[in-house]
Amino acid sequence: METFAESKSGIALFLPEDYDIIWSTVILIVVAIFFYKFFLPKFQAIFDERAAKIEGGIAKAEKAQADADAAKKKYEDQLNTARVDAAKIRDDARTEASHIIADARTKAEADAAQITANAQKSIESQQQQALVSLKGEVGALATALAGKILGSKLSDADVQSSMIDSMIDGIDKDPAGKAK
Amino acid sequence: MAGVAAFTGAAGAVLAAQSGPEIPSIDEFLPPEIIFAGTPFAMNRIIMVRVIMTVVMLLILGITASRAKLIPGRWQGFVEWGLDYVRDKIVYEVMGELRGKRYVPMITTIFFTIFLFNLCGIIPGMNIAATATIMMPLIFAAWTFVQYWIAACREQGLLSYLKQECTPPGVPFPVLILLVPMQLIDILIIRPASLTLRLLANMIAGHLIVALCFSATQFFLILTENKMMMAAGVVTFAFGFIMTLFEAFVAYLQAFIFATLSSVYINMSYPEVD
Repeated sequence: METFAESKSGIALFLPEDYDIIWSTVILIVVAIFFYKFFLPKFQAIFDERAAKIEGGIAKAEKAQADADAAKKKYEDQLNTARVDAAKIRDDARTEASHIIADARTKAEADAAQITANAQKSIESQQQQALVSLKGEVGALATALAGKILGSKLSDADVQSSMIDSMIDGIDKDPAGKAK
Repeated sequence: MAGVAAFTGAAGAVLAAQSGPEIPSIDEFLPPEIIFAGTPFAMNRIIMVRVIMTVVMLLILGITASRAKLIPGRWQGFVEWGLDYVRDKIVYEVMGELRGKRYVPMITTIFFTIFLFNLCGIIPGMNIAATATIMMPLIFAAWTFVQYWIAACREQGLLSYLKQECTPPGVPFPVLILLVPMQLIDILIIRPASLTLRLLANMIAGHLIVALCFSATQFFLILTENKMMMAAGVVTFAFGFIMTLFEAFVAYLQAFIFATLSSVYINMSYPEVD
């Protein structure tokens, strides 16, 4: 407690010594020069460089992203086109195939009809021929046969031809199968 | 203090060498000149602490800056965080970026220097803030003072500034008779004086409290033979420990307040805009 009694007057705290003035000023000037001329410009340069780098990086990334998007869009477009093309080709093929089938069917039907008609005609003509030749042969055969059976008794021409006619009528009434 | 008095009264006879703990006084802030005594370049203990801290600061920050890399390490990141803090949270917060850009170096210098000088108060071996004599806070305050008058003259002219500060619009004439001298005293004396005294008084008071706690601890634990007082020593030590941590906070807080008020005063020199 006696220290309080011995203390210098408190007012001395607020009265600067001349060396205090000098050292405070010197130190402020030194520190300020350090901060203004070296420390802060150095860090400002670092900050600027970093910002530039980051911005550059971001721009680069954005460009890459845009490129990728464009490429993706291009591929998707191509894919879509290909899909449409494929669908079109498939449809065309289907249409063509059905045409071909329809044509073939028409042609086949026409051919079949033709063939049937030809066959029918040929059958009819052959039947006619066969009938005619049969008529002649049967007549001759019957005549010969009757001649042989009856001998010369059948010399009358009228009897002869009426006999042949009645025979042919009988043949006509028989089924076609027997004639062959 | 009351406990100390009671103790010394009751057991004074038991004490051998000392009658009580050494009470720190303002003499600690008026130490004798150690070197260059008597010359204008004399140094006392506080000024030596100040010079040493300056050298240490310049070395550490200088090495940090010269080795600064694009991708910061931990320490560089920490220093950059401090720089960002002063720029964004003090200067730009008060003035905005447009006005603030010009003053970032000044406020950064003030904040970093005052903070580190304040910290000397709790650095073992230094144990006294380098801002604990009148001139160091005063020279910073003077710098602020000069800057806000320069800003006033540059941005709106001296007369316009005086008019803006002394005669706020809407104040009736009779009030102005009181107001004008008060405002003049404010911008001429109160602002720099309050900056100076706030910082100085905080550093002095902080040192006195911490020193008192540890002086009492030493007395109670070591110097006295009365073992009953050991408990008091433990309490004073705990309190001193807490106050030391508190002083670290005050070191930052006072640097922040000084830097912020400097920004505010400079900002007030600019013409008011709506």
